[in-house]
Amino acid sequence: MSIEQWIDFAKGPLFALTSMIMVLGLLRHIVIQVYELVAGKGRRLSAAPWRKILNEGLGWAIPIKQIMKGTPFFSSVSYLFHIGVIVVPVFLADHIVLWEKTLGFSLPSLPSGWADFLTIFTVACVLVLLGFRLFGDRQRAMSRLTDYVLLLLILLPFVTGFLASHSGMNPFPWETMMLVHLLSAELLFLVIPFTKLAHIVLFVFDRLSAVHWQLRPGAGDKVADALFGKEARV
Amino acid sequence: MDAKQIAIGSSTRLPAVEKTPFYHIEKPVTENRGDHFLRAFAAVLEFTDYKALLDSYCTSSAKCNRCAVSCPVFMVSGDPRDIPCYRTNILLDIYKRYFTIGGAIKARLSNGFELTEEVIDDMLEVFYRCTACRRCTQSCPMGVDHGLVTRLGRYILSLIGIVPKALQVSVREQLEGETHNTSKVPKDALLDTLGFLSEELEDMVGVKMEFPVDKSNRDYVFFCAVSDYLMEPDTLMGNAAVLYAAGDWDKWTIGTTNYDGINYGLFYSDWHLENIVKQLLAEVTRLRGKNILIGECGHASRSAHDFVPVFGGPSAQPVVSFIEYTLRCLKEGRIKLDPNIITERVTYHDPCNIARSGWIVDQPREILKSFVPDYVEMTPKGQDNYCCGGGGGLVSIDEIHDYRMRIGGKVKAEQLEKTKADIVVAPCANCKKQLKELVEYYKLPCRVMGLHDLILRAIEIPGGKSPAERKEEAALLEM
Repeated sequence: MSIEQWIDFAKGPLFALTSMIMVLGLLRHIVIQVYELVAGKGRRLSAAPWRKILNEGLGWAIPIKQIMKGTPFFSSVSYLFHIGVIVVPVFLADHIVLWEKTLGFSLPSLPSGWADFLTIFTVACVLVLLGFRLFGDRQRAMSRLTDYVLLLLILLPFVTGFLASHSGMNPFPWETMMLVHLLSAELLFLVIPFTKLAHIVLFVFDRLSAVHWQLRPGAGDKVADALFGKEARV
Repeated sequence: MDAKQIAIGSSTRLPAVEKTPFYHIEKPVTENRGDHFLRAFAAVLEFTDYKALLDSYCTSSAKCNRCAVSCPVFMVSGDPRDIPCYRTNILLDIYKRYFTIGGAIKARLSNGFELTEEVIDDMLEVFYRCTACRRCTQSCPMGVDHGLVTRLGRYILSLIGIVPKALQVSVREQLEGETHNTSKVPKDALLDTLGFLSEELEDMVGVKMEFPVDKSNRDYVFFCAVSDYLMEPDTLMGNAAVLYAAGDWDKWTIGTTNYDGINYGLFYSDWHLENIVKQLLAEVTRLRGKNILIGECGHASRSAHDFVPVFGGPSAQPVVSFIEYTLRCLKEGRIKLDPNIITERVTYHDPCNIARSGWIVDQPREILKSFVPDYVEMTPKGQDNYCCGGGGGLVSIDEIHDYRMRIGGKVKAEQLEKTKADIVVAPCANCKKQLKELVEYYKLPCRVMGLHDLILRAIEIPGGKSPAERKEEAALLEM
């Protein structure tokens, strides 16, 4: 197979397959969460303070107050990183063509100057976040291999995409760059549902702690019965 | 702010408190604790519904570390084990490894995480270094409730016998003992105390108030932390004074079968939480009371307010905090507080259990500002306020006093010192005990009082001595 054919393969069937796995994998999380909540909590769901949960959740959409309360630099970078990482892949002009082809609908595209700026900006954000993990005492204590690998994996499609679309700066053949761009993005698609990146959908469910405080009546006694028998003592 | 906070932490970095174990355990299990833990975990997963929460948290926890700078324990200790997300991830790792397919496959492929005796020891300590104040939950962009996970960890530990003896003994007396309360106060002693309080009040305000005991069909059945009957007479007299001045003296009662609002189940066990709530409800039902009135106690207020509806169903009696009640009386003009009595500088400490959720933040401030001319706020305040360092049951564990002073409560002590207040008001039995110990330990020129202790000094009692007269008499007595 020639490299052009590889690119076509990565753009066509492989893209469809990996994005399908990503979507299904994320859907699986949603289905499991909804099922566990409905089956587990049942009528207690209606007793949860939903308005408060919603208000608090929406408060994080533009989290200026939260950012000012702690780690303002890290939090700002992290917030801006999230904007870049959502906006660039979805609204880039070259990607819109892809949406049209595979999904059948179009979206307004980013002006190319903005796209370039946002891409570089996102890459810079990733590097700063990586710096925090490498050099911040607290973060390093918490970080595991996956946390670094995922950041690099996010970096890859951004860098390769940028180089592929700027031939003047690209030291490698366009085809190679394009192929690496496609494959790295697709690899990211594959790992999203199986790693912490699944917070793309799970963040909604993480915010439901007020629902989880609606404990199940009678459960404590059953646990004690199962472990210690009916004569369970404190 | 970030860098400064870390600077505080690192400049005062202290060696971890070395004690094996961290707290006294009644009958320590020594063998196969890992197996026991997993068996207990499995039982909890089978009968409760924590699974959804664990599934979501264990996949999505991003370990961004924003929680670290919000934790008053970590700020002082600088120990990575005190980072809320780190602590949470111990339990999540166990869940992932032993209760998910992904974890099982991963364990097949490589030598990953194992639940060893060291991990048990780690949990034993870190889950009780946390004061369960849930300040970190507010700083988590994902909303991960580290307090809830820590509590779950403590719950499972308690099922294998790892629980501070101080808490276990109290809960046993409350649920299975004769007195049905945590301080082992028998009914006769309660009646004696109420008689004594009544006499004290008569001396002080010049009006006889017989405490209503076991009256049926009253609007309010009163529960406080039972230790208040032994240690906080001024708070209770303040409560009584408000009820009397508001004209509600024949509308409330204290039950004698159960008069303890304390619920340590909130800190470590679903089993105990539910049964203690039910015991409280049984007393209210016996007396055919219409509302549950909770005295000045953070966790008693929260465990009743949040869990009476959960375990008692929608028809259960409404829970009213005494602070809410007093503010209502004040707004309706049923009580009057003399603004010329309190001349000291006063600040307010928010007990985590009532403030973190935003439930009781403004009410006490509104009361205080109405009669305290020199009122100052501490920073941060309200929902963001720091824990006293004795939350989550820690204050009841005497053997960790050193930890609570040097690490858990240090940030609070510094915050308190900056206010230059003469009096810190803390409407919570646990906070009061911890703050009193902190004030003594750090030699702060500050007095710790309940909200109603202060109200008692300034409230106008119909037919009684005026607050100004009482103040003069008190001054004479002190001379």
